[in-house]
Amino acid sequence: MSVVRLIARDELRLMARNRVAVIAFVLLVLLTLAAVLSSWAHQRGIAELRSRHAAAAEQAFDAQPNRHPHRVVHYGTFIFRPLSPLAAFDPGVDAFTGNSMFLEGHRQNTANFGDVRQSSLLIRFGQLTPAFVLQIVAPLLLIFLGYGALARERERGTLRLLMLQGVGRGELVRGKGAALGVVALLAGLPAMIGFALIAGQPGAQIVPMLTIAGGYLAYLALWVVVILLVSAFARRSRDALLALVAIWAVTVILLPRVVPDIANAAVPLRNRLQTDVAIARDLRRMGDSHNPDDPHYAAFKQSVLDRYGVTRVEDLPLNYKGVLAMEGERLTSSLFDRYAGESFAAQARQNALVDAAGILSPAIALRSLSMAAAGTDFAGHRRFLDQAEAYRYDLVQRLNRMQATDVSYADDTATDAGADQRKRVAADNWQRMPDFRFERPDGAVLARAALPGLAILVAWLMIATGLLALATRRLGVR
Amino acid sequence: MSLLAHELRLLLRHRLTVAALALLAVLTIAALAAGMAETSRQHAAIAAIPAAQAEDIAAVADYVDQSKDAGSAAYYSFHPTWDAPAPLAFAALGMRDVSPYMLRVRALGLEAQIYDGDTFNPELALPGRFDFAFVLVFLAPLFVIALFHDLVSSEREAGRQRTLDALPNGGKALWRRRTALRFALVWATLALPFTAAALIEGVALPTLLIVLDLIAAYLFFWVGIAALVGRLQWSSVANAATLAATWLVLVLVVPTLANVAINRAIPVDQGAEIALAQREAVNGAWEIPREQTMRRFYASHPQWADSPPLGTEFHYKWYLAFHQNGDASVAGRVQAYRAGLEARDAAGRALGWLLPSVGVQALLTRLAQTDLTAQLAYQDRVRAFHAQLRDFYYAYLFRDRPFGKADFARAPRFKDTPDG
Amino acid sequence: MTEAPPIHIDALTLAYGTHRVLDGLTLSVPAGSITALLGGNGAGKSTTLAALLGFAKAQSGTIAVCGVDPGRQPDLARKRIAYLPENVALYEHLTAVENADYLLALSGERQSKAAITDALAAAGLQDRAWDQRLGGFSKGMRQKVAIAVALLRQVPVLLLDEPTSGLDPRATADFNALVSAVRDRGTAVLMVTHDLLSAADVADSIAFLEGGRVAEAVPASGPDRFDIRALHARFQVGADRLAA
Repeated sequence: MSVVRLIARDELRLMARNRVAVIAFVLLVLLTLAAVLSSWAHQRGIAELRSRHAAAAEQAFDAQPNRHPHRVVHYGTFIFRPLSPLAAFDPGVDAFTGNSMFLEGHRQNTANFGDVRQSSLLIRFGQLTPAFVLQIVAPLLLIFLGYGALARERERGTLRLLMLQGVGRGELVRGKGAALGVVALLAGLPAMIGFALIAGQPGAQIVPMLTIAGGYLAYLALWVVVILLVSAFARRSRDALLALVAIWAVTVILLPRVVPDIANAAVPLRNRLQTDVAIARDLRRMGDSHNPDDPHYAAFKQSVLDRYGVTRVEDLPLNYKGVLAMEGERLTSSLFDRYAGESFAAQARQNALVDAAGILSPAIALRSLSMAAAGTDFAGHRRFLDQAEAYRYDLVQRLNRMQATDVSYADDTATDAGADQRKRVAADNWQRMPDFRFERPDGAVLARAALPGLAILVAWLMIATGLLALATRRLGVR
Repeated sequence: MSLLAHELRLLLRHRLTVAALALLAVLTIAALAAGMAETSRQHAAIAAIPAAQAEDIAAVADYVDQSKDAGSAAYYSFHPTWDAPAPLAFAALGMRDVSPYMLRVRALGLEAQIYDGDTFNPELALPGRFDFAFVLVFLAPLFVIALFHDLVSSEREAGRQRTLDALPNGGKALWRRRTALRFALVWATLALPFTAAALIEGVALPTLLIVLDLIAAYLFFWVGIAALVGRLQWSSVANAATLAATWLVLVLVVPTLANVAINRAIPVDQGAEIALAQREAVNGAWEIPREQTMRRFYASHPQWADSPPLGTEFHYKWYLAFHQNGDASVAGRVQAYRAGLEARDAAGRALGWLLPSVGVQALLTRLAQTDLTAQLAYQDRVRAFHAQLRDFYYAYLFRDRPFGKADFARAPRFKDTPDG
Repeated sequence: MTEAPPIHIDALTLAYGTHRVLDGLTLSVPAGSITALLGGNGAGKSTTLAALLGFAKAQSGTIAVCGVDPGRQPDLARKRIAYLPENVALYEHLTAVENADYLLALSGERQSKAAITDALAAAGLQDRAWDQRLGGFSKGMRQKVAIAVALLRQVPVLLLDEPTSGLDPRATADFNALVSAVRDRGTAVLMVTHDLLSAADVADSIAFLEGGRVAEAVPASGPDRFDIRALHARFQVGADRLAA
């Protein structure tokens, strides 16, 4: 048996005899199982609930009686964001973004009813998911099992003894690393098996799954290397333990909280109230559809009349009110798009700041990698918002067009007792409206979004390994 | 030189101790500064409301003034409400980053408006805020562990324990004194910057004293855990590992497990169901005879029942009436939804009796009025204000009084006090 | 009337559970004298010190330090005792003077810096070491600091646990001279040791502990003065019997 394997086996035997270590390891595995099961149940529950709600909302929309199309514009429709299968592994921002959205004319509503506002304060302590266990808990277990790997040998004088026996420094470090690596693999395995079982459903996205698996592997490998590195430098094993716990607390707990706060202060977001007021202001500047003398709408009206070669709206082959509604929707939507685009851009800048901090904290890099590949990051949410807005615009304009073509101007402007019924459009029209279908991004898109995080992690791993190689050469010199 | 001064010198000669205390001080001050910056941002956002609102409402007034139609005024006027941060909010931002603290409402159906959120970046909210509560609940225990894990074991490992025990003032009194000194240093490192910040922010003295006690009590809990582990007479390393593992379990693992358990045990009807039901009720009004809507409305609002009957033309009093009927139709669901949220919150806070990490967070956010209770109280104030708005517009609509420019100034204004 | 000796132990029985460690121990150390306590491992030497310091409680018999029962009033007894463990470990990041100052404070004493440096000088510590941190001090130097503290405290009783183990012959001689000087101030010194030569050199009487009681006590001067060879043989026998 090679020296490396002998050393690794000896180290593993030592860990196995350490009752506290074994208990901690078993607890980690149990915690992982609990996380996998609860995340899976949670994800299934949410997916079921949302699809049930979505079906109910679609059915309600289709079951509308004869109605004036503009009523339907305001009746609007509810859409629900489906959850990606990978969300069971890392739900990302799902609990923080609303998952339902009310789409109607002239208004861009927020996504509402996120879990964070529907749970107890405990949700802010973190959510028990496989990603949480691997990102936060597993490194601490590795620290407890590995802090003494080299420091202990030095402290007890067995380091020189081993060297006198002809064990090379490299062999020693590789052996210890192999032992800790085995523990890391065992610690990560249950989560990965659970991940494969949950996400490995038909139509699973293999590429992002592999990206996630690779990312977590690199992350845990990085911790193994860092633990050996600190253990090689520390004078006493206690110093190694304290230093490693401090590194863990700073990179895994502290920085992921501090950096977003800095990003929040550095890039302010316009709040909703100011946005709404600004949009209203811009709309007034564009034109006032209520004002017959408004230059924009007067010009628009003239252009419509000219196109059909008539002089009065009553003579148009179309219902002018519908045409006007289409123009109004076009204007408001262009503003919504502009302001939403500004807000998204600001949020993307904030997130870019946080992602850049991945250079300081591999935990941040891993988190963004994990969420990006699972499609549960901000970009994933934005994908939903973008598609929702596109769908809203299309739906509202279809209804406005229906008003223009299927409701006569005379009926639309009449106020007599029977007018209300004459304005209405047949109910079977509603069933012909397309339903909202969230287009999932394909695996390559998700994996590409995860690449920056992965690159940072791999760079960390390479630097740490290089440092460990240097430290190995100096091992036992003092 | 007093004994305490001796102990202080001894302690401050340790690089680890000095570094730990300095780092804790820096983190505390940074967290307080971040919290104060955030609350001042929120104050500024609230202070910016009147200007924006004046501009917005002036445009509505210009338009409505042409028709003098109170219904149009009600339909187009958005009225701002806000929830100014309490003096202590800087210390525990709680839910204020994910729940709106400003909301504009119209006199239409409230249930379609009151759950709206404000713009926030979910990726930034996900890890939680860096505020004083975080430093206290999450980080301070780690510093207690760093300072206390080898309180006795280091003396034993250095071979001094016997010498110290043999001295007349050694032994238990010595450990008590050292414990008290370290405890006081950690407490002061947290409490002094906090007190300064609290005075700047105008926190009431009783609240300040409660928080100072809370800090002491929470630190005391962790010192007690460290003392218990110390009694096992293990090595410093074993103590440190055991304490760090305890921290992980008490601060991270149990709360996340409990969150799952609570959300399973107390199912809450999704708020989306309220919104769906309210929309059906509101839009359904277009399909039923208008008189039916009005009868239902007058039954609950007899004071307007003598209003003239509806003609064939559209009248906003009918529109607003079915909006109010829509709200009334989901009142039961709203109650149940709210009760569910409160039950979940109560379960989380109940856990605080067992788990000091959760207890401290719960108490701090309560004192800072940034918890769910404060959110619901804000919603209640919005509801009360919304009721005033309705009464205000109804007085014009149901009496067919014209609504001129001057009437906009008579609209109720949201008052930022709990008694509204 | 004769005052009771500072260390007075009579028919002391002390057991840890069912294991009797001290079994009728009788021992007195008068003021201004040195008694060396010899015996094999497990004979009860350390327990005797622990009983005097109030760490272990006797089941029966009398034990008194200047008339105070350390089992009942440990703090009062400890006020009268200076104790040097086998390895005098002090605070490495404090200087010699600061260490002395701190240990005195822990004993409830206040002394000026001049008094401390005088005592350090009397204990034989060179003046350039006074303001150095203890990090690099040898065992002998650390003992000198501890003795200086004992001198300043003016305690009537000095307990020494294996003071000369690990010291080279020169340092041993230095230390023995220092202990003799302490004795000459009227202190009662009880010294637990394996070092027969050193005991013979410095002690006024030597007591052999065996099975928890004094098997034999011999004076170190006068007509009954011990014969070092005989003592050595006795000691060997005692150790062998225990090992058997």
